[in-house]
Amino acid sequence: MSQEVPEEFRLLCMLHNIGATKWEKSLSIQEISQWTAMETSSIEFHLQKLVELGDVQPIEGEGVGKYHLTPDGIRKVLTLYS
Amino acid sequence: MRICILTWEYPPRVVGGIARHCEGLAKAIAHEGHEVHIFTLDFPGAPDYEEIDGVKIYRTVTELGHPNFLTWALLFNHFLEKRLGQVSQQVKFDILHVHDWLTTPAGISSKYRLGKPMVLTVHSTEVGRAQGIHNPDSFAIDGMEWWATYEANKVIVTSNSMKGELCGHFHLPADKIEVISNAIELTKYNISIDRQSVRGRYGVGPHEKLVLCVGRLVPQKGIEHLIHAVPSISWRHPEARFVIVGEGWLKSHLEHLARTTGHGWKIRFTGFIPDSEVIALMTSADVLVIPSIYEPFGIVALEGMAARVPVVASQVGGLAEVVEHDRTGILVYSRNPESVAWGVDRILSDPGHARWLTENARERIQKTYSWEAIAKKTMKVYKEVGE
Repeated sequence: MSQEVPEEFRLLCMLHNIGATKWEKSLSIQEISQWTAMETSSIEFHLQKLVELGDVQPIEGEGVGKYHLTPDGIRKVLTLYS
Repeated sequence: MRICILTWEYPPRVVGGIARHCEGLAKAIAHEGHEVHIFTLDFPGAPDYEEIDGVKIYRTVTELGHPNFLTWALLFNHFLEKRLGQVSQQVKFDILHVHDWLTTPAGISSKYRLGKPMVLTVHSTEVGRAQGIHNPDSFAIDGMEWWATYEANKVIVTSNSMKGELCGHFHLPADKIEVISNAIELTKYNISIDRQSVRGRYGVGPHEKLVLCVGRLVPQKGIEHLIHAVPSISWRHPEARFVIVGEGWLKSHLEHLARTTGHGWKIRFTGFIPDSEVIALMTSADVLVIPSIYEPFGIVALEGMAARVPVVASQVGGLAEVVEHDRTGILVYSRNPESVAWGVDRILSDPGHARWLTENARERIQKTYSWEAIAKKTMKVYKEVGE
C-alpha cells in the first residue's frame, strides 16, 4: 500500500513531539508555526479537523486560542510508531 | 532481585502490545517476590509515581521537544536516564530490561554507568513495521535496533519468526536470542455479559453474524484485505456485519475503501474503545479476523482465543505459531481477500467445528500462555546474564 500519512496526522504527531500534550503546555498557532515551520493558515485548517475528530483540545489562554492533544490524540500518535 | 524495566508504553499509555506485555510481565515477576521498577513516559491524568500490584512505576515528563520523532525519542531518553539515575542512588538494580529501540539509548548508558547487565526484548523491527527502510529516520532506527541487539547481554523475542528475522537482518548469533512468548491474563476473559446487548450497541441484530477485527489502523495490520473480502463474505453470508475496532492514520482511507465495496453500511469503525469493551465485543463476536501482513507475535489472537471466539488469522510471523490451523483456529494466506473470505466462511458455515476450535484454543492458552510461566522463563534469563 502506498498510502501517505495525512497532513493533519503529521501535524498531530509534531504537536505531540514538541510537548503539547496537556493544557499547561498548550501552544498558540503562532508558536506551533515557529516549531514546525508550517504556514499559520495551514495549521489553522488542520487544527480545525483535529478538534472535530477529538484529537486536539482548544483552550482560551492569554487572549489567544491555544491547543493541546487529548488522551485519544496521544494514543493515535503512538499508533504510528508502536 | 531488583529489576529495572524501561518502556515507552505502560498503562494507561497503551497502544500496541508493548504496554500489555510489560504490565503482565512486571506484575508476574513482582508476584514471585522480586522488586520491579518501571521507567516510562507520562500520560495525562497518571501520577509521576505510583505502586500497583507491587510494581513501582516512574512516569517521566519530557521537558524538551522537537517536531521530528527520532529527535524527540532521543530527548525523552535523556529524561528517562536522568530519572533512572536519581532512583538508582537509592535502589541498587541487578538488571536492566529494555523494550524495543525506543528506550535503548537510556538503557545502554545505564548499563555502563551502573555496571549491570542489560536484557533487550525486541517486539518488532523497523524493517518489518515499515516493510522496508524508506527514509533516513527509518535507516537510523534500524541502526539503533542493531546497536541495541549488539549491546544487550541477551535478546528476548516473542516468536521463532522474530528470532529468524533478527538472525537474518542483524546477523545476530542464534544463541544470543531467547524465545519467550507473550501471555494473557485469562481471568479477565471469564466474564458474564449480555451478548445481545453488546452486539446491539454496535448495530448487530440477534440474527446477524458479527465479524470482528481489532487492531491499529496501519498498513501492517492488513485491514484492507478484510474490507476487500466483505463482498465475498456477504455473498455467502448476507447476515454478516463487520465491526473494526482501533485507530490509526489509515482510518480515512479504510473508511473510504469500505464505502467502495457497496457494503459500506455493514462495516462499522469504532475508533478507540476501552479494554473491557473490547473483551465484551470479542466474547460476543462470531468470528475474529486478524488479516495482518506483519505480526511478530499477534497478542490479539491470544485475546480472541481467551474470549472463546473462533480466530481467522493470516499465516504470518508469530500468528502462524500461536494459531494451529484447523485445530485452534483457521490460518489464511496474507494479502489475500479470497482466502480471508474462505476462512470466515469456514467458521460461519460450521458452528460445531467453530466451537471445537475455540475449546481447543482455550485449552492451549491455559497450558502455554500464562504470565507465571513467562515470568519464570524471563527470570531464568536474568539469572543467566547476571552470573
